[in-house]
Amino acid sequence: MMENLVWGYIYPNEAEIQWSILIVLYPYITGLVAGAFIASSLYHVFGNKDIKPVARFALLTAFAFLCVAMLPLLAHLGNPQRALSIMFTPHLSSAMSGFGYIFSFYFIVVVLEIWLAFRVDIVNAALNSRGWKELLYSALALFSYDISEKALEADEKLGRKLAIIGIPSAAFLHGYVGFIFGGIKANPWWSSSLMPIIFLMSAIVSGIALLILLYLVVMRIKKHPINHKTLYSLAHYLWVFLIVAVVLEMLEIISIKYEALEEIEIIEHLLAEKIAFTFYGIQLTMGALIPFILLLLVGVIKNRDKLKVAMVAISSMFILIGVFAMRWNVVIGGQEISKSLAGTMTYVPVFFHHEGVLPAIIILIIPFIILRVVTYILPPWKDMMEENEEVAVSSE
Amino acid sequence: MQPHLKRAFTLLAIIIIAFIFVRSLAVPGSFGEYGWYRGDSVNELRSQDIEYAGSRTCGDVGCHNTLYSIWNQSRHKTVNCETCHGPSEKHASNIRIMPEPADDSRDFCGLCHYNRVARPDGFPQVDPETHGQNLRCAYCHNPHKPWFV
Repeated sequence: MMENLVWGYIYPNEAEIQWSILIVLYPYITGLVAGAFIASSLYHVFGNKDIKPVARFALLTAFAFLCVAMLPLLAHLGNPQRALSIMFTPHLSSAMSGFGYIFSFYFIVVVLEIWLAFRVDIVNAALNSRGWKELLYSALALFSYDISEKALEADEKLGRKLAIIGIPSAAFLHGYVGFIFGGIKANPWWSSSLMPIIFLMSAIVSGIALLILLYLVVMRIKKHPINHKTLYSLAHYLWVFLIVAVVLEMLEIISIKYEALEEIEIIEHLLAEKIAFTFYGIQLTMGALIPFILLLLVGVIKNRDKLKVAMVAISSMFILIGVFAMRWNVVIGGQEISKSLAGTMTYVPVFFHHEGVLPAIIILIIPFIILRVVTYILPPWKDMMEENEEVAVSSE
Repeated sequence: MQPHLKRAFTLLAIIIIAFIFVRSLAVPGSFGEYGWYRGDSVNELRSQDIEYAGSRTCGDVGCHNTLYSIWNQSRHKTVNCETCHGPSEKHASNIRIMPEPADDSRDFCGLCHYNRVARPDGFPQVDPETHGQNLRCAYCHNPHKPWFV
């Protein structure tokens, strides 16, 4: 059976592909975190008022996905208890050793920012509830209930500072994930200085797309009208970042083709035979071209909100699938070419295995459960509704 | 600074100090003594009992001379005695202690000889489904002198 999976000449230890679908999931989830965070900072740092209804919700989304960002790696390692060793004794010659610290730093920034953004709600909830709820919210408020104007001003000051630190650290977190691949000089499909920025841009794209979909779903569940201004503003950013991401991805391919170094033949084989469908079909057509046209139309068409909302929703869904395909093409595609540059292997995903498709699905579901729990404790719905009512009133 | 922010940063400081404390407990004292590993491990490894005697011991002392000279000329000469017969240092120093009998199952031979795509073309490989009617390999092949069927 294995014979059909191998083409050309490969080295003996390459027959089995080591980085499975879980390693595809790792940059995907990290990207959603970075993207959602940057979407929220469009309001918190750059003061885009249109984004305000989803700004706090975006922070919670980033937090929910951040909580599981490590899970794919832990499941892949098989010895999760050893994960802490990378933080206790990080070896500085390994790019991977930085992840624990970069992740932790970013986690602290996100938690602090959420705390500041929700502090008024937390204090009010602590003062107005009894029993275990009072205890929970009091603990979250750190038993300090000062929400005077002066205190809030200090909060806002610190919050802005944190958001300013947060953007570079979000960029660093995901740029770093790209660097892990881009820094592997032995693999011509990975080794590129553009990799960190490509990863970062597609991360922002996927994060905004996720936020749009979650927003639409939440408004449908809450049976509230959609704030079109917010939606179109997000769609606009989605379109801009999509263009940047796709242009960078194309630049990468074009420079590989133009330079035509010794690896060109195997990369052309990879693109034509191994990942043709996921690259040209899903990543480029479904994940970039169709959303690009749809989002362009959303910007051009006047009125007809129902159609435009549907187009934004479809674009977001396609982009989420397209970005997953992009991670797949990088992680799996890069491993399918032999270091001999004269042969290819094939990755066959299995379903029931600790590195199989089933754990990947479970890991992808967990953040939504966390998000449900977190939004139960810290409901961000008020922002979404308030703005809506204003819009609803003014449109009537 | 506002008192609630003071509390938040104190909590953060406590978490960081706790991490440093746990790290100091978790990282062994001798870590980094010689390199990026536990220095004590060198002595621990050195004080372990020797398990393997080496193929030469089997032939040199004169106990298994005949088999040794057959094996020494065969295509299996790169596979050490103890690869199949197990660690035998105790047996070499006291012949009353017998080593475990050699593993002669099909799967054990198959570790090297079942078809694998990554093996070189000329390497003797078989498909366990179709080759040998599920008999033990040693039924036909002499492991001390392969191809002597």
